[in-house]
Amino acid sequence: MLGLLQGFSELFPISSLGHSVILPRLLGWNIHQNDSYFITFLVATHLATALVLLGFFWRDWLRILRGLGRSLRNREIAPDDTDAKLGWLLVVGTIPAGILGLLLEHKLRSVFASAQSAAIFLMVNGLLLFVAEALRRRAPQPEHGDPDDRIARRVGWRDAFGVGTIQAAALVPGISRSGVTMGGGLLVGLSNEDAARFAFLLATPIIGAAAVLKLPELFGSQGNGVRGPALVGALCAAVTAYLSVRFLMRFFETNRLTPFAAYCLAAGLACTLYFLV
Amino acid sequence: MERGRLLVSLAVLVGLALIALAVVYWVEPAKSLPSWLPGHEAGSDHHHVKHGIAAFLVGLACLVFAWFRSAGPRPRSAAV
Repeated sequence: MLGLLQGFSELFPISSLGHSVILPRLLGWNIHQNDSYFITFLVATHLATALVLLGFFWRDWLRILRGLGRSLRNREIAPDDTDAKLGWLLVVGTIPAGILGLLLEHKLRSVFASAQSAAIFLMVNGLLLFVAEALRRRAPQPEHGDPDDRIARRVGWRDAFGVGTIQAAALVPGISRSGVTMGGGLLVGLSNEDAARFAFLLATPIIGAAAVLKLPELFGSQGNGVRGPALVGALCAAVTAYLSVRFLMRFFETNRLTPFAAYCLAAGLACTLYFLV
Repeated sequence: MERGRLLVSLAVLVGLALIALAVVYWVEPAKSLPSWLPGHEAGSDHHHVKHGIAAFLVGLACLVFAWFRSAGPRPRSAAV
């Protein structure tokens, strides 16, 4: 069940970490997010999600990698080389997120480990999504042409750095990585569809690297007794992650972040009140 | 032009220093790190692998920046 939830909530802008903290508390499961077996389980589900994202956008990644190689070889990013520009935008966005993640992950997870704080930050996430929709630069409308081309033209280096940096906010349970990056995409002038695409491309190296860094825990002694459930969880996460990314890419062609903002506000408020009583 | 060269030299120096720092983080335990470095902890045998990765990434970014910045101006053909 946690695997299904993880794959689904990792890509929807509703915070997978927040849900994996709140749900066990609501259902009375004896799981804590800092328990070693739970972290090992999450590593497997994250790895599955990253592989699904990589598979879903594999043609884009191939083009991006070729573009990166081309620009390194030529020692310039040609103005018409959108693959190279998009590739370096992803690099520029990934570096701050990766560094902040490496340095702050443990501290933030320990400070905001409780289900109460996750519920409160889920409300904050909802507000952030509402604000991003309210302050967006571009009105939502169907667009034509190559989406990667549009992203490369509209997103600047500072924008990519900024969007990458706010990804680190997702280290706090309750704040969604895809939510803040989609919101950031809207603020820099992308449409919902392009913001979602940019968010998923930006998430792939970060989720994948985070999982790969913790693979020794999965295959080491810490993974004893958890590998079976972790494999089942990873398979479930892979299925729901695939269905989620397919659904979301279509959904954002014509829709906004507003329903997810409303859900986060309502669910966060309901859980906060429940935990208080 | 002079300013550009200075920036490239600085980026290369900082990049190499950060990569060297990354190696120190990977090789030395926390107790053996210089006391002014983040992560120093007296008596700790822990290796700060993540600090090393962070330093390596920033160092690599500095070198890539220098690589692009140091390329000379390129003649553009009229036809696209």
